[in-house]
Amino acid sequence: MTQVVLFNVFNGLIVGAFYALMALGLSLILNLSGVINFAHGGFLALGAYLAFTLIPFIGFWGALIVAPLLTAALGLVIERLLIRPLYGGDPLYGLLLTFGLAYIFEDATRFIWGAQSLPFQLPAFLTTSLSSQFFFVTGYRVFMIVIVVAAVGGLFAVLNYTRLGMRIRAGTRDLDTVSTLGVNVRVLRSLNFGIGIYMAGLAGVLAAGLLGLSPTIGANLIMPSFVAIIVGGLGSLLGTLLGGLMIGVASGLAAVYFPSATEAVIYVMMGLVLLIRPRGLLGEEGRVH
Amino acid sequence: MRPARHRARAFDAAVCLLLLFMPFWMGAIGGYTELATRIIVMGLAAMSLNFLLGFTGVLSFGHAAYFGLGAYGAAMAIKYLDAGTLPAIGLGVVVATFAAMAIGALIVRRRGVYFAMVTIAFGQVFYFLAFRWNAVTGGDDGLTGWHRLPINFGFATLDIFGNDKAFYYFALAVFAVSVAAMAKLIDSPFGRSLTAIRENERRARFLGVPVEFHIWLSFVISCLFVSVAGALYALLNNFTDPRALRFDLSGNLVIMAVLGGMRFFWGPLIGAAIFVALQDYVSSHTENWMSVIGLVFVLVVRFFPRGVLGMLRGGAKA
Amino acid sequence: MTVLQVNGASKRFGSLVAIDDVSLTIEPGELRAIIGPNGAGKTTFFNLVSGLFAPTAGSIKFDGRDVTALPPEERVRRGMARTFQITEIFPELPVADNIRVAVEIAAGYRLKPWLGAAARAVVAARVDELLDMGGLSDKSDVRAGALSHGDQRAAEIMMSLALRPRLLMLDEPTAGMGDQETYDIARLIRRLHRQEGLTIMLIEHDMRVVFNLADRIMVLAEGRVLAEGAPQEIADSDKVQAAYLGKAAA
Repeated sequence: MTQVVLFNVFNGLIVGAFYALMALGLSLILNLSGVINFAHGGFLALGAYLAFTLIPFIGFWGALIVAPLLTAALGLVIERLLIRPLYGGDPLYGLLLTFGLAYIFEDATRFIWGAQSLPFQLPAFLTTSLSSQFFFVTGYRVFMIVIVVAAVGGLFAVLNYTRLGMRIRAGTRDLDTVSTLGVNVRVLRSLNFGIGIYMAGLAGVLAAGLLGLSPTIGANLIMPSFVAIIVGGLGSLLGTLLGGLMIGVASGLAAVYFPSATEAVIYVMMGLVLLIRPRGLLGEEGRVH
Repeated sequence: MRPARHRARAFDAAVCLLLLFMPFWMGAIGGYTELATRIIVMGLAAMSLNFLLGFTGVLSFGHAAYFGLGAYGAAMAIKYLDAGTLPAIGLGVVVATFAAMAIGALIVRRRGVYFAMVTIAFGQVFYFLAFRWNAVTGGDDGLTGWHRLPINFGFATLDIFGNDKAFYYFALAVFAVSVAAMAKLIDSPFGRSLTAIRENERRARFLGVPVEFHIWLSFVISCLFVSVAGALYALLNNFTDPRALRFDLSGNLVIMAVLGGMRFFWGPLIGAAIFVALQDYVSSHTENWMSVIGLVFVLVVRFFPRGVLGMLRGGAKA
Repeated sequence: MTVLQVNGASKRFGSLVAIDDVSLTIEPGELRAIIGPNGAGKTTFFNLVSGLFAPTAGSIKFDGRDVTALPPEERVRRGMARTFQITEIFPELPVADNIRVAVEIAAGYRLKPWLGAAARAVVAARVDELLDMGGLSDKSDVRAGALSHGDQRAAEIMMSLALRPRLLMLDEPTAGMGDQETYDIARLIRRLHRQEGLTIMLIEHDMRVVFNLADRIMVLAEGRVLAEGAPQEIADSDKVQAAYLGKAAA
């Protein structure tokens, strides 16, 4: 029994790490630009399928590097053409636009790569189990954790120690002041969007290795990402990270004890958090709205 | 001011006439009666959403949940309780309204894009409930093995099951009552307090309006009427499945409202007519209908943000 | 009975002390002006009194009752009305509807789903009366957002007046206005004070307006009360000259 529980906690942490990776990107964009990027799941799927297509040519490791970058590049183009004109307007329109994009992404993925699930080839040494007792600790899962930790660590390092990152953080708090200090807000938002989409692409490559490929892979991950942001607290990236891990573990545990509540449990958690602490676990007071 | 009011009355009358004869002219333009019914059902749903979106200024992206609860409530009442048509609709509405009251209380302090996000997320609870609770809801396959029943008024029976035109007029009657109630509310002191919140929340508060309570009430009323539409939708299809609860339906309702013109009372109905007809046409002609629908979203946002009525009336207000 | 009594109110934002131990009492029928250099904490003080946020320390009594913990709408219901530095109206609604919303809410109708003919007539009469008082009768059908700056301000004051407030708080009512508009608004305020007997608390930068209208003046500087007294005392005060008037002249 303990092994089953451990397995599910471990699994939950991995799933939670996914949620967090995706939610962090969403959070970045939401905090600086006020846009809920509904197409985030679409970008994730794109990252996964691009990696699938690239692997035969440049191998897994090459795809791991290139696919998220290509995804981010497409993100920059879309941001420039469609999303940028909406900044500062009614948030309704950003939501609707990205909602429509999500439809188009899912359909395009299906059109290009087909509706059926596709196998995702991993390097052999990643798929072996590391321990006979803890069979579930496969190399790939450990590898995923390493990558997620590196990505999240990298993100926080960029935000805290680079000029770009400090500007993003300052812009999140007070965009007007940042712009009067001579920072080009449009470029800042573009780069920030690119970083967010890069994270989605990276999450996509990792998710493909764990879950296999299907056109709805992104759509299934976006709702938990919203929950992660709400539970963690709006405006707090650390909260988003924490929220993602927590709901991952919660659904992992629910899978053991209340299998039929595997998905619902995270929404119950969200309800409880909103009831007890309306601004979320680490949300800033001024951001209750 | 006067001529504007006359024009509005004339427009109301035109809409009523078109709806009254829709099953008859629908065939002439290549439609069919069921499509006409779907248009008024989705129109009612979009207009209900717009009570909150257009007339209170609060963006809910999770109305499918209450639409679906209305649908499941009505369907389960008929299947398990042998309920008549009207009690079945009533049960669906009660269930959905209670859910809206509870969830509304958790989210009324949020605003704008955050309100939208929380409504989306909460909406999914019911989707997974319907999806997972196989024994009762039929799970992913939906709730089958039941159909709508003729309505017995004592002195006469209306065969809404065997006669699709009869069902259309039944749905239209429900639509009319709901829409009239919403129109009355919008043009009341309560409705004006909601418009006040939309226009300037701070001013409304400093006139003494407890803003959160009014938004909560508006949310509940909006969900109540959307669940009426949901119940009708289940009756229309003699079937309901988890997709009636899923977030993409929420998004579709919002785009219907915006497409028609969310600042106009009839806007969402017009948006629903366009959207439903387009979806019907496109999905029977191409597999890639999702891309077309997605494109509609993008085009509306970029080129018709004020909707069809907003464009027609230029700068003027409803 | 004293209308407003603020006791040792303070407000901190993090390490910044915006309001530091401010006390004040306002008697019925009084017109109190609050002046002070930019950043003195005048608007913050208004926000504390009207309930936009809670004080860090101190208490606020309104009409003899402690309202420190009440939300703004509850204070409004007890008779506290205010305007804002940046006019807060309903821009997309006609002027008459702006006033009508206020009148209906003041009459306790905010939750009514319908209104009888008699009640409607009473509301309409009151709306006309307020439009007339604010000099807005001929603009009643105009979208409020399309009004001139001065008329928007008048509309906002009339909306507050619709509440029949025990205390009317005006935050820089003449800010950004030309001479004629300033004159019109000042005349309106004087009329509300002298003829309607309203108790008014006023933040104002225009010294002509302040010294013409105020019964008493409180001077804030850096969140503290620098001086308080009749207009003449304030004008003669060396402290005020040095800290404020001197600075303004320079």
